[in-house]
Amino acid sequence: MNISKNETAVMDVLNVMDALHIGPHTFNSRLILGTGKFSSTDVMLRAVRASKAELVTVALRRFNREQLEDDLFGPLSQLEGITLMPNTSGASTAAEAVKAAHISRELSGSPFIKVEIHPNPQHLMPDPIETFEAAKILASEGFLVMPYISADPVLAKRLEEVGCASVMPLGAAIGSGRGLSTAGMLEIIIRESTIPVIVDAGLRAPSEAARAMEMGCSAVLVNSAIAAADNPEEMATAFRDGTSAGRRAYMAGLMAESGEAVPTSPLTSFLGESR
Amino acid sequence: MKDVPAWLVDEGSTTEMRRMLSPDSPVDIETLAARARAITLRRFGRTMSLYAPLYLSNHCPSGCAYCGFASDRTTLRRRLEEDEIRREITAMKKLGIRDILLLTGERTVAAGFDYLRRAVEIAAEEMPRVSVETFPMSVEEYRELASCGCTGVTIYQETYDRKRYEELHRWGPKKDFLHRLDTPERALEAGIKTVGIGALLGLSEPVEEALHLYRHARHLAKTWWRAGISISFPRMRPEQGGWQPPFTVSDQQLARMILAFRIGLPDMDLALSTRERASFRDGMAGLAVTRMSIASKTTVGGYDEGETGERGQFDISDERSAPEFCQALRDRGIEPVFKNWDGAYNGPATQILPTGGLKETVLCP
Repeated sequence: MNISKNETAVMDVLNVMDALHIGPHTFNSRLILGTGKFSSTDVMLRAVRASKAELVTVALRRFNREQLEDDLFGPLSQLEGITLMPNTSGASTAAEAVKAAHISRELSGSPFIKVEIHPNPQHLMPDPIETFEAAKILASEGFLVMPYISADPVLAKRLEEVGCASVMPLGAAIGSGRGLSTAGMLEIIIRESTIPVIVDAGLRAPSEAARAMEMGCSAVLVNSAIAAADNPEEMATAFRDGTSAGRRAYMAGLMAESGEAVPTSPLTSFLGESR
Repeated sequence: MKDVPAWLVDEGSTTEMRRMLSPDSPVDIETLAARARAITLRRFGRTMSLYAPLYLSNHCPSGCAYCGFASDRTTLRRRLEEDEIRREITAMKKLGIRDILLLTGERTVAAGFDYLRRAVEIAAEEMPRVSVETFPMSVEEYRELASCGCTGVTIYQETYDRKRYEELHRWGPKKDFLHRLDTPERALEAGIKTVGIGALLGLSEPVEEALHLYRHARHLAKTWWRAGISISFPRMRPEQGGWQPPFTVSDQQLARMILAFRIGLPDMDLALSTRERASFRDGMAGLAVTRMSIASKTTVGGYDEGETGERGQFDISDERSAPEFCQALRDRGIEPVFKNWDGAYNGPATQILPTGGLKETVLCP
């Protein structure tokens, strides 16, 4: 198929018009990558490049400036066109997350902070109370706060009210690969939110990223599904395509699902003819 | 005599574990390995957290029949002084270590609480993660350690068979089975974030031992929901001309145990030390184990001045250097991770209450 230069230009304009805005920042990619769990830094960097992600998250606990072989931050900061979003994974209280955010900003210079507070180091579910407290403080200090939360529509609005730049509800538990288990709650969050809604955690397959985007999510964050794949680079590409296909479908307007069955005898015949 | 707590003997929830652990299990070990590997990969990815032990002192008043540092052994006794601790830690940092486990014997005048607290302070200046494997302490003492930067307490029950426990711990403060059993909970009450538990495999019947260890882990996870829990599988080896463990745990049995724990406790850290041979460690790395010790010395000190010819607490089987071991992991597609924690998450102890409350306690001197 031939695509004229004009058509390509139109598509580029559409892409730009459909950019993801978080605070004052604009991203063309709607796939965000997590950087832990990879078999090597090199594999991780290749996956990031293949994904075409422009925003990636890295845990403060994996910053190791004294020992470059063990450091994730240094190599990521060398990548062109990538904005780094440090995260507070390891924090179990608001106080610890705030401290970690301050250190992360100092080390990375990034205005973004992904607030992750999981008091239970086994299942890693986010603590809504501590997350709210930390988000309130950090937003007031000018951070672009990206809180990782359970798919709770009320908490999402409360975080929006205190000035968060986005909300990041989970699709399923971290590393569970259970996909969009929280779909019903995510639909409410998306419908009500005035800030970007980014589905974070639980996605296993690119089709699930597509589904999240079709539902109207602003972006998805993927880590385990790519890092644990046999070929992370290829899987990153597949997630890039899934995310972008889902977004296009959402923008194009999905055909309505087939409606409920129409009963054979009318339900409203008692209303009579007059209007 | 006070009874053991009900959770330690409750049979209710261990049927499936028993089925997987039993040597004549209907579940073959390949099936267990495949299930365990899939869980580990999803939850922990392709990484391995590394740590190393530093023996501070081998003074010990206890008479544990199986231990190279028992008070009736003729081992030369010594402890590291402050400047030696600093030198050891500098040497360990050069190897890449950022997660350290400090060890002593039972409490003595030479190596008591004040000595240990000072060692934790020194270590915490350089290492983001400092744990101790020493004598059982009081809640107040653990609270003080936490405020000085101690994040973890490792305490093995050695054996959950009470009768055998009392026989093997012939004299000394370690004789009290229940006091030792309660120790992880005293540490958690004091705001220590992670506890390490384990049984010295070979001291009693292995399947029963593993089931007790499993119940202990489940109990801690349920009662102390904020606790990080790490489980170790130290296996006794027959000591040449020395003490012989009453049970031999084969590679097959040990592997079955670790795999079953991964399936039964899908998101807990499972640790394997350099007691085990290189080939066994490498094989288990991709399947279930998420924490490993590296380049370990079991003599007092040993990282700074090199080998001294002294006998350690036990013999090491995996003697590879840090770079050799890391390369072996990389060859298997696993990234060695030295720093997997940050000092930002240490500091003033936050008291963790079993029912969920959090109380900030500031104690640092």
